[in-house]
Amino acid sequence: MALIKVEDLFFRYPQAKAPVLDGLSVAFEQGERVAILAPNAAGKTTLARWLAGLYPDGGLVAERGHVSMDGKPWPQWSAAERAAAVQFVGQVPSQQLTGCAFTVYEEIAFGPCNLALPEGEVRARVEQALAVCNLKHLAKRDPFTLSGGEQQRLSIAAALAMQPRVLILDEPTSNLDPESRDDFIAQLDALPAGLTVIVFEVALRPSLGLARRFMLLDEGRIVVDGTPETVLAHPRCIETLGMTAVARAAFEIREAGRWPEGLALPLTLAVAEQSFREAARA
Amino acid sequence: MSSRSGPQSGQTALLFLPGDSLLHRANPLTSLIFMLWMISAAAVLPTIGTTILIVAGVALSFAMGVGPRVTKRLVITMLPLLVALLVVHGFLVSRPDFIPLVGPLTYSPTGLEYAAQVVTRIGAMLTASLIFVTTTHPGDILKSLDQRGVSPGVSYLIASPLLLIEPFSERAKAIRDAQRARGLDLTSTFKARFKALPALLIPLITLALSDLDHRASILNSRAFRAQKHRTVIDAPPDDRFQVWLRRVLIVLAIAQLGIPLLWR
Repeated sequence: MALIKVEDLFFRYPQAKAPVLDGLSVAFEQGERVAILAPNAAGKTTLARWLAGLYPDGGLVAERGHVSMDGKPWPQWSAAERAAAVQFVGQVPSQQLTGCAFTVYEEIAFGPCNLALPEGEVRARVEQALAVCNLKHLAKRDPFTLSGGEQQRLSIAAALAMQPRVLILDEPTSNLDPESRDDFIAQLDALPAGLTVIVFEVALRPSLGLARRFMLLDEGRIVVDGTPETVLAHPRCIETLGMTAVARAAFEIREAGRWPEGLALPLTLAVAEQSFREAARA
Repeated sequence: MSSRSGPQSGQTALLFLPGDSLLHRANPLTSLIFMLWMISAAAVLPTIGTTILIVAGVALSFAMGVGPRVTKRLVITMLPLLVALLVVHGFLVSRPDFIPLVGPLTYSPTGLEYAAQVVTRIGAMLTASLIFVTTTHPGDILKSLDQRGVSPGVSYLIASPLLLIEPFSERAKAIRDAQRARGLDLTSTFKARFKALPALLIPLITLALSDLDHRASILNSRAFRAQKHRTVIDAPPDDRFQVWLRRVLIVLAIAQLGIPLLWR
């Protein structure tokens, strides 16, 4: 059984003419690292909120279909069960803070404390999250005085302290400088193997470091689902999101008729060297 | 982590001054009940009593190491009020006991007496509140409430206004700068500034309302109120003496307020 399953989800916001999600179906397994790529206004945040169980909410309901985890639709989950199962981190860092903690330490401890866990376990979870997100030196700071990138790491740490089975990140690297982004990707890579991580991104390079399975979300549907090579070489993906710098260079060589027939375009620098050698030999 | 909120534990502590005095070390609930007892005393004491209460309160604040901050805030707040009340009740409000002072100027002794009574009463209440907020970190109050099993919703109502002041004022500055960059006149006449107010307030309110939705969503995903009680980490220490002291202060406060009512 899939861990999270979206079945024929058709959703539009009240008063909107066009649907945001147009009969979308997709499934995620435990331990998967998935990147869902999409241009702006393609429905990334909406889908992320459905996956995280934040929808349906009040008047925001699906016209058709539903999302379930472990075969149980979200409305059947209690708030505590859902919070312990899945965590969502949105893209505006200051909006990810609870507004109920005076220090970074307290912000991370807020969720585990709400689950009424023993104090020792709360402390252990907070220490672990502080270490993973490189926030130990900021533990006593006021969360609202941190920079955007630090707040981003804090909101992810607070989500990790809930020890969810699924972590959903909406453009997690958008507020990070290149160095912090690479550190962050390395930290995410070190997360427990059993944790399912679903990342919604517009940027191609960080996605390559974060995920093994790629999808392209366009006009409310998953247009293509597969390996990075399949998805990033898809014409619609190139049209809406462009290419990585390495792939762009190889693409230009191919356009000039000097790329070997059948040789895939490299996506990362690590793969590029061999590909360019082969291209040079041809 | 330290057992109590200290100087480094976040910067959102408003008037709190770190220290190691008796009130700093006291359980926040004890300090809170002490403040309520002082306020109840101020509500019923005559002018001389409330004046003594202010003097005693200021002396106590110096003993606790927060004297300068308490005194400064007390003076800044009370001085304009004192002047306004003395002028209004002593010289302007019509009373039967008006006495000539200088030239056409007359004053009322009962009006001045009344103004003094109101000012010292408010002053004593303010002194009590200032002693409390300068010696008790807001974070410790919340932990103390959580420890007593008070609903997390109540704690949130207390904490969030304190915590959100900073981001709210930052946003207000950003909106002001953005509107000025678009040509909004905020430096010329009072009329021009008044006309500019909607352009500043509307986005501020709209964004604040939008934030509410996000905040609710985050609280929901962090299991806020999912359980009846929360775990309290770094709970402020308490002991039997303080428990009994609080009980005595509560009885005293009720008696202070109740006896005059019954007497009437």
